[in-house]
This record gives sequence, structure tokens and C-alpha cells, in this order.
Amino acid sequence: MSELKRTPLYAVHVAAGATMVDFGGWEMPIQYPAGIVAEHLYDRKHCGIFDVSHMGRLVVEGPQRVEFLQKVLSSNVAALVPGRAQYCIIPTETGGAVDDAYLYMFEEDRYLLIVNASNTDKDLAHFARYLPDYDCTVTNITDTYSSIAVQGPEAEAILRVLSGGAEITGPRKNDLNELVMEGHTVRVSRTGYTGDPIGFELFIEADQVVWLWNRLVELGAAPTGLGARDTLRLEAGLPLYGHEMGQDRSGVEMPIFAVSLARFAVSFKEEKGDFVARDLLLAQKEQGTPKKVIPVALADRGVMRAGMDIYKDGVHVGWVTSGTMVPYYKFDEAGNILDATGKRSIGFAYVDSTVTMEDVLEIDVRGKRLKARPVAKHMDQTQPPYGRAVL
Amino acid sequence: MNYPVDLKYSKSHEWVRYEDGVAVIGISDYAQDALGDVVFVNLPAVGDEVTAGESFGDVESVKAVSDLISPVSGVVLEVNEELEDSPENLNGDPYGAWIIKVEQVTDEEELLDAAAYEAHCAEEG
Repeated sequence: MSELKRTPLYAVHVAAGATMVDFGGWEMPIQYPAGIVAEHLYDRKHCGIFDVSHMGRLVVEGPQRVEFLQKVLSSNVAALVPGRAQYCIIPTETGGAVDDAYLYMFEEDRYLLIVNASNTDKDLAHFARYLPDYDCTVTNITDTYSSIAVQGPEAEAILRVLSGGAEITGPRKNDLNELVMEGHTVRVSRTGYTGDPIGFELFIEADQVVWLWNRLVELGAAPTGLGARDTLRLEAGLPLYGHEMGQDRSGVEMPIFAVSLARFAVSFKEEKGDFVARDLLLAQKEQGTPKKVIPVALADRGVMRAGMDIYKDGVHVGWVTSGTMVPYYKFDEAGNILDATGKRSIGFAYVDSTVTMEDVLEIDVRGKRLKARPVAKHMDQTQPPYGRAVL
Repeated sequence: MNYPVDLKYSKSHEWVRYEDGVAVIGISDYAQDALGDVVFVNLPAVGDEVTAGESFGDVESVKAVSDLISPVSGVVLEVNEELEDSPENLNGDPYGAWIIKVEQVTDEEELLDAAAYEAHCAEEG
């Protein structure tokens, strides 16, 4: 086994008492002493910070950068303007996903593409097949440029202390900005993987990221590990590559349009032109996919886990792709957040597309058939500053 | 990590205390720490038979599920129903939050005293 990679914040995590695990070849904090449940709740009510420096950061530049990205990404790159970011998928030639990614246009003449940590090498190898046809380059700057996600209701107020009161970004999701925070140059995007109505991702030179992390903690943000990152994204209904995207549990490629988020990530605009698997993806969009990824909630007591089989009227219709028990805050009738909390068992399922919202599903939880139901969403993100559990 | 001396421990991290011939069973401080936040406990029913060395239920943490292994053979006399609503008691008070009580005990796994159990945990790291 090759040696695990570490982010510049490794020693800070260890000093904070984090439990470190192998995550896609990186030695990362799964949780701090507070634990996953407390970290999840703190993020939803206050502010969580996440070391996302392990994610692959790639710079794409050169005269034909737009043409190249239009070819290998699913989104309409030409629609992106400086100061904006967009979600995209990197399609395989056969209509599945090599990875999902976020494309940032901080500058006129180059793009920053952020990919999943464990896929970075695979993505680079995939791009290398197309690069010879384009006059541009892809450079991996993961080791020199670091990133912290700052998420939750208090995220903006905390960052405003560091910016000396200056506006962090424009008000829209995917707005970008570059700021000087207490003498350090920090790039900021209004993005995140928690579903919090307020959340940012910060980018800073690797040798300054420890300063930024420690300042955020001093200002009241709580270090949050990969465990809570997973429960937060699950509650927010955000797919995770390797679970809701990529290959299914049998090693069969999942079509991109099996995930509803694909509707926002794939463009068939004339301006975009042809791209990898365009026609296959258009067919997926128009004709549907045999199976689809849907959020599900367990009605019976128990916990669903990835890989568990799902039945409808006794017929096997699919399986769980992600699942666990997540905590949530309760709200009073006026919509005020309370101190009281609850727990619920939620997940994603990959099921036959014939399954409807009205169906009752049964999940085989180690030999017991537990009732579950498809839901539209697990969380309401439309009432800032809090994400609210949809029960 | 806390290892009360008045308890016996299994290598699979359950503890046992006898009260008038009834075996009171829970999970150790080491176990709850390794599991992380416990969010669900799957309990047996009163009257179920349990077998030493075999599963009598499971505990779910956010991260994973783990079997509960019975340190004794016998019949379930009582289950701690509080754990259905407050499974986190296993984290907060692992030696107070017993899981089941077993009567008619006929067999017992090889159990360790506190010092031997602490050494066993140290080996597991």
C-alpha cells in the first residue's frame, strides 16, 4: 500500500484530537472529539468548517481552454462569466460519469476545476486522452493551493470579521470573489456540499491555510470531519461519486441522468456543441433511464445502509446507495429554531424507474424487511439561514 | 478510558455484572468510543434465548452497524427500553446504560477481569 497523503492541516487535525482515516488515499479527519452528531448539528445551527484540501484542484489555461472544457465537461462552459462557478459532470464515452466537479472562473484567462480527491489521477488520465487535440494545459495545483469550506447560518458573519466588514461574495449561489483577509489573499465561492442556505468555500495558498483554519476556529466555527460531511450532504440530497454516481454495486456504469441533479449539470445548447457522450446523454434525458436515484426515508425503526436490497410488493426493484441515521433540529410553529433535536433514518436508493412517490418500499435490513417511502427531499433549503428537516 | 473493576468483560467488548444470578449486560467504554455516536439499538424481546458468543442484537452508529455478542447463554429477562428513544445513553454512560438482563444462565464465554480487558483493548489499539 502506498503512503497516505496529508493536507497542510494534518497536524492541526491531530492536535484537535481528530480520528484520522484513509479517505481515497488521504489521511483525513472522520470526526473530532465532539462526534459526528454534534458536528452535524453545530453546522446546521452555527458554522462548520471542513478541510477540503484533499480535493483535486486543477488549473485549465491556454488559448483553447474553453473548447477543451466544452468537450470534456457536461455543462455549457461558455455561459460561465468571471466571478461565477458551475456544477458539472465529466462524462464517460458511454454516458456514465468519470467524476463530478465544480468549475470556477475567478479569472478571465483560466479556470479552476475541482474534482473528487480519489478521482484526481483518473480524471487527469481521462483528460490526457483529449488534450492533444487542444491548445491548452491542465495543471494539478492540489499540493500548493488549499481549501476550507465554511458552512452554516453563522458562516457569513464569521467571514465578515476576517474581511473587515467587506462583502464576502455577491448574494447568489455560485458567486465568486477575491478578498484580503487580515493581510492574506483569499478566494471565496458561495458554494458548498452541506445544503446549508449559507455556505462558502475558501481557497488560499497552502502555506497560509493553517492560519485561516485557526482564525475560523477562534471566531466560533467548529472543525467538522468527513463523517458529518457525509450526513450533511445526504440530508441535503447531494449525490456522492461512488455511491449515487459512477459504477453501481455490480460494477455496471450508472447513466448520468439517473441522478436528477444531472438536469442542471448537462447542457445541450447549440453554443456548447458536441461533447463526450452528448447523443447518449440526450437519449437518457429524453427517454429516461432504466433505474433512477431517489431520496428515501425509513418509516420503520432501524437504519438503512449502502448495498441493502429494496423490494416493492415483494419484487426486487433496487438497492440503497447511501444511508444512515442523521440528526436534525426541531423548529417551532413560527419557524424559530429550537434546542430540541431528533434523529431520522434517511438515504438514497437506486431503483427501477417505475417506482413512484406513492409506492411503499421494503428494505432488507439484515434479514428484516423495513418499510420505506420515496420522498421529494430530506431538507428545505429555501428559508435562510437554516436548512430545515422535511419529515 | 474507564474499566470498572467490579465488571467482567468479553473480548468483543461487552461487560457483564451479576445481580442475584441475573446477568446484566452492556457495552464497554472502549466499545462506545470506537463506535462513535450510537443512533439506534436493535434489542431482542423478553423471553428470547441468547447464546454465549452469538449475536443478540446490534448497535448502529452513524458510521456502521456492529453486532452485540452475548457473553452468556440464557433467557432474556428484561431489555432496557430507554435505549429505543435514547441510544446515545450508550455513549454517555456505557456502564449505567445496560442493554439486557439474562436469567437462567447456563453458559458463559471466557471473560476477562478489568486489568486483562484493559490490556486486551490496548492490543487492539
